[in-house]
Amino acid sequence: MSELIVSKFFYNKEAAPLEYYRKHGGYEALKKALSMKPEDIIAEVKKSNLRGRGGAGFPTGMKWGFIPKESKVPKYLVCNADESEPGTFKDRAIITYSPHMMIEGMIIGSLAIGAETSYIYIRGEYVREAEYLEKALEEAYDAGLLGKNILGSGFKHNMYVHRGAGAYICGEETGLLNSLEGKRGEPRVKPPFPAIKGAFGGPTIVNNVETLANIPAILNKGGEWFAKLGKLPNSGGTRLYCVSGHVNKPGLYEFPCASVTLRELIYDHCGGIRNNRKLKAVIPGGSSAPVLLPHEIDIPLDIDPMAKAGSMLGSAGVIVIDDTWCAVKAIKRITHFYAHESCGQCTPCREGCRWMEDVLHRIEDGHGKASDMDLLLNVADNINGKTLCALGDAAAGPVMSFVKKFRQEFEDHIKGGKCPSA
Amino acid sequence: MAKKQLSEDFYKGIEKLKPRYPTNQALLLPALHLAQKEYGWISSELMDEVAAAIDIPPPVVREVITFYTMYNLKPVGKYHMQVCTNISCALMGAEDLLHHCEKKFAIEAGETTRDGRFTITEVECLGACGTAPCVQINDDYHENLNKERLDKVLAELP
Amino acid sequence: MPKCIIDGKEYEFKPGETIIQVADRNNIDIPRFCYHPALTVVAQCRMCAVEVEKMPKMQTACSTPAADGMVVHTASEKVKSMRASVMEFTLINHPLDCPICDEAGECTLQDYSYGYGAPDSRYEEERRTFIDLDMGPVIKKNMNRCIHCTRCIRFCDEVGGFREMVALKRGNWTEITTVDGKPLETEYAGNLADICPTGSLTLKDFRFKKRSWFLTRAKSICEGCSQGCNIEVHHENNTVFRLTPRENMDINKWWLCDEGRFNIKYIHSPTRVVEPAVRQDKTLTLSDWYSAVAEAKEKVHGKTLVLVATDLTLEEMKAIQEFASSKLNGAAIYHFGTEGHTKASDDKPEDNILRRTNKTSNLHGAEKLGLKGWDGQGKFDSAIVFRGGRAQLPTDLNKYVSGSIVGVGVFHEETVDGYSVILPGLSYVEKSGTVVNWQGKEQKFRKALEPIGQSRSLVDVFALWS
Repeated sequence: MSELIVSKFFYNKEAAPLEYYRKHGGYEALKKALSMKPEDIIAEVKKSNLRGRGGAGFPTGMKWGFIPKESKVPKYLVCNADESEPGTFKDRAIITYSPHMMIEGMIIGSLAIGAETSYIYIRGEYVREAEYLEKALEEAYDAGLLGKNILGSGFKHNMYVHRGAGAYICGEETGLLNSLEGKRGEPRVKPPFPAIKGAFGGPTIVNNVETLANIPAILNKGGEWFAKLGKLPNSGGTRLYCVSGHVNKPGLYEFPCASVTLRELIYDHCGGIRNNRKLKAVIPGGSSAPVLLPHEIDIPLDIDPMAKAGSMLGSAGVIVIDDTWCAVKAIKRITHFYAHESCGQCTPCREGCRWMEDVLHRIEDGHGKASDMDLLLNVADNINGKTLCALGDAAAGPVMSFVKKFRQEFEDHIKGGKCPSA
Repeated sequence: MAKKQLSEDFYKGIEKLKPRYPTNQALLLPALHLAQKEYGWISSELMDEVAAAIDIPPPVVREVITFYTMYNLKPVGKYHMQVCTNISCALMGAEDLLHHCEKKFAIEAGETTRDGRFTITEVECLGACGTAPCVQINDDYHENLNKERLDKVLAELP
Repeated sequence: MPKCIIDGKEYEFKPGETIIQVADRNNIDIPRFCYHPALTVVAQCRMCAVEVEKMPKMQTACSTPAADGMVVHTASEKVKSMRASVMEFTLINHPLDCPICDEAGECTLQDYSYGYGAPDSRYEEERRTFIDLDMGPVIKKNMNRCIHCTRCIRFCDEVGGFREMVALKRGNWTEITTVDGKPLETEYAGNLADICPTGSLTLKDFRFKKRSWFLTRAKSICEGCSQGCNIEVHHENNTVFRLTPRENMDINKWWLCDEGRFNIKYIHSPTRVVEPAVRQDKTLTLSDWYSAVAEAKEKVHGKTLVLVATDLTLEEMKAIQEFASSKLNGAAIYHFGTEGHTKASDDKPEDNILRRTNKTSNLHGAEKLGLKGWDGQGKFDSAIVFRGGRAQLPTDLNKYVSGSIVGVGVFHEETVDGYSVILPGLSYVEKSGTVVNWQGKEQKFRKALEPIGQSRSLVDVFALWS
């Protein structure tokens, strides 16, 4: 088994408390960071080639570097624990088993950018997980790891949990910031970017839970070590893959970036397809990722190879579909989600997602027309890249890929007047 | 203003939260969570009381509360069953599970049983895809479900 | 100054300006629904998207800052195709009820549909529908026509002074409305109809009255207060149908208050005295101009009080001053118009938007001409009151005037009990002239209507008098 970073303590019910974490090297990285200059922390993270684990894969060190050193208004660090991308369930495990790993990463990040306040924006449905976090924060305050004078260093930092209330779009960083500010979770117009004007008008960094949980390891063992874990030159460390759907062993798997192919993950690690069925399709990066066919899965699991293959690694939510399932039904369900979660601000997404859902619904019910497939492709194309935030792309990409890759199945629905597998 | 409906605890909770945020409006989501905890849902009167409690214009509460799915704008049963039917759960039989619940309680998703014990809501991804299908009952997740396991969970509810 | 290139031509810009601002200043047409120069930029409608070289995605011109050397295309195939797609999306849930919609003919959505859209729709699903809402005395909402540009929400919040319009729910089901359907409180509600790019918000007062293309538009100045808002008078068949604001960045920007906007009812009121009238046996009896002027000349005698309303133009005031000094020897001359406003310094802002406490258009002009405010002092043998359509008449003149009172100008039957003669004059839409606003700006306006009934200009009246 290769080296584990963020999943080191997974499923160990004793691991969550501060005492356990400290006994196993926890908060040593913070001590180290407190003796470093902020720019050196950022340099170390840059060296690590850590890329955001939330979905966009933006280099974390570079992101931190965008924060202006001097600011008249307070700066903030926000941990994105909204985990709303269907197929993704890794942050919940980190929060449950290693809350302090993430908290330590957040304190280090705040130190690096000069933030005295940070927030953990956790999706509202994670009620228990929010409680775990509150408890962990209490422990950290009691141990002097948070508060007015962290470990006697003079660094002051407060950290709070903020619960969402049910909206996928709050996983988008500016939607999240609006939600944190008590507003509708509508994404903001960019520029200005959060690094310049984010939470409450201050320069803000928004990082995913897993991204932040990697920070202590980077500080402890060095950016170079972390970078070398990845098999590609621009993507360091390990990655948590969330596997759901029709595999024998769904769950969380941590591997160094690009060290395992999608096929290996499904067949070697997850025990292959359940009930000895045949693989029909894989959505490799959360439901926003374009679908891949069985012959397209010999791709190393990392950001760039997945993009090259016409899909995306996204949040590494691997959704596996076997041959018992209808492709039209699957994409209809996914599209329903995006129509439901569209914030409604911008025209193509507000109107287009619902339109695509209606057409897909019609096709699934056997009332499709031969022209519907081209209509879907065109409507999706009219959304793709033309919306205010990435939700439009997230809705359009899967539709385009399903229609293109399962065209025959769509035709069968339309010609037969019903789902052929119904 | 009408008589206060929210408890001392609510107002104490708000006071405790205030130092966390630089603006009043940032208190809105936590305040609505606290209010919902007391009544299970949030009426127009409660919305106005929350607005007054954190000193923001009442229209803002309306805009925000209707944006999010977790705030109940009508009463829900003692047990609010939120059945995820998003793709990963659907692949693992969530639709059957939902229909099972609907049949069992003779209500449709979105409705509450006559005795006020159960409300069924079809919800989007709960972030428990590896342990699908998942049903959230009030604050707790129940995972790796099938009809039998869900029946057992329901039977054990007080 | 940095420069950017739009459609092949170089334009200078100030740092911080967006592409749409540079384009607007240089008359480059970029269609838009949600963008309004007065309101926060939200980049929601996506109609203003343009192609910017070196940027992979289309950029909304309203939210993209111009940059030195930036190359922008506003008419490329990509831009045209994006506009067509936005138009299609915008229209799929629109009822396309232009034939029964008051906005038709001046509707941004309709114009863009012709300009940038396709002639047919590929949409075959159910259209989304909402219930209409009466939003108080000024505005009626038809949500089905709404395209979610949110200009109205931002207007109320950022200009109108009330956080009263909201977006409820989200996504395709987003509804723009007032909270619980309450009537609007803002005194600037009419502007919502102006800025709404569709027929979703229309003026109740104008609904089903007139097709917009039949209207003739005359440039005028609102007489409602001393702000001097620039307006257009929309009329047909010598009848005013509505007033709309005309942009003037120094005075009213794009706006007009409801009080000013609806200050048109009196012009066509059935009780307005529009023919010369003489009081006989206590009743006002219609007369002809020669007899009425003769009667007036006879009635105005002895020590005369001349009252000049501050809703008259500078030209009229000067003519009255000349008339008084040449024809009414020793007459005392004062201005009047708004209770409690005898001098220009009494005029204060009524809110932080436009409205002023002085409710006539030319108090500041009257003062400029040396007129003093009427303060209710002295004893007179007779009086002559000159008035436009707006000034508040002194109700207790008979306390100071022992003999007859003659009215020249716009009067209504119900307010002229103490008057012996009425010589009907012109309201502000029936004449041209100049007024001075509170900032001291002299503004000229042009006549929109021919005189109503037998009404005549002051020049005519004075000619008949001599």
